[in-house]
Amino acid sequence: MELLDFYADWCGPCQMMKPTIEEFEKAHPEVKVKSVNIDEEEESAEKYGVSGIPCLVFLKDGEEVVREVGVMPLKKLEKLLEKANG
Amino acid sequence: MEKYDIAVIGAGIAGLTAAIYAVRAGKSTIVLEGKMEGGQIINTINIENWPGDMRVSGVDLIRKVKAQAEELGAKIDYVNVEKISAMDGGFEILGDMDEKILVSSVILAMGTNPRKLSDAMMKDAGKRPVSYCATCDGALYKGKNVVVVGHGNSAKHEVKYLEGICNKVYNIHHDEKIPEDADAVFVAIGRIPATECAKGLVEIDGCGYIVAGEDCHTTQPGVFVAGDARTKTVRQLVTAAGDGAVAAEEAVRYLA
Repeated sequence: MELLDFYADWCGPCQMMKPTIEEFEKAHPEVKVKSVNIDEEEESAEKYGVSGIPCLVFLKDGEEVVREVGVMPLKKLEKLLEKANG
Repeated sequence: MEKYDIAVIGAGIAGLTAAIYAVRAGKSTIVLEGKMEGGQIINTINIENWPGDMRVSGVDLIRKVKAQAEELGAKIDYVNVEKISAMDGGFEILGDMDEKILVSSVILAMGTNPRKLSDAMMKDAGKRPVSYCATCDGALYKGKNVVVVGHGNSAKHEVKYLEGICNKVYNIHHDEKIPEDADAVFVAIGRIPATECAKGLVEIDGCGYIVAGEDCHTTQPGVFVAGDARTKTVRQLVTAAGDGAVAAEEAVRYLA
């Protein structure tokens, strides 16, 4: 399982999400978390059709399974993981 | 089951200020937040009307206030509150993940959410992205055409912000057609109080605001309201903080 975390430095909600993403990473070593700066990796943001940030995309075997836009607490992020694991 | 003297619903500036006052008065206090502390202000990069800081970002400000509330002894938990019920000697709070918390007094500080685009306009937008925050998402449309729906102060602000980034910025009313060549839709048509969980507990006006005067007393004894969710004329950071202090003092007095 992979988690793509699309963010930007100027985005307040993304800054608020950062500690939650870090906590998630620690609690779930089985998930490969990749933070993608949309200003530096425009192609990746375009490829995934990111239209708002923070945007969290779970990939299972490279395929998108769950996506959510906006801030959320760790509990909700873990719910998304459950859903992604399906 | 968790028990506290006071539950504060919402960890924006009103809620966290209320928590600071409540714990300093010696009351066990839990702050319940459904999404993320800060609420509306985390979208604001430069706050210039918060006394003591010439310029401060919403993120930096709320981090400081949260740390302060926690250091003083408030507990902050991420619970999306679904229902608050009055019961013998207090209130029962239910979260959407089956959390249950019992308290003696409640301070409602849920703030507001952006008013959503109408179904007809959503249909008109089709596959085009719809955003409620230009400062969050504007940069994704560098050099593209966008449309801002709404004509209030915040809409004007969004238009100005987007004009610095995008190729063309349309501005339409909430009943107009979305221009064909707009790549994204930004919405600023006002805000709606997030007071759903307080329905049936306290009086709520026709616009969704919780009815209370400057003393922050709702129609239910033991339940107080602070910040943007209250019926009032000025909704600013400092007035939200002021409400937080008043609501907490009143809650403490109620518990005495």
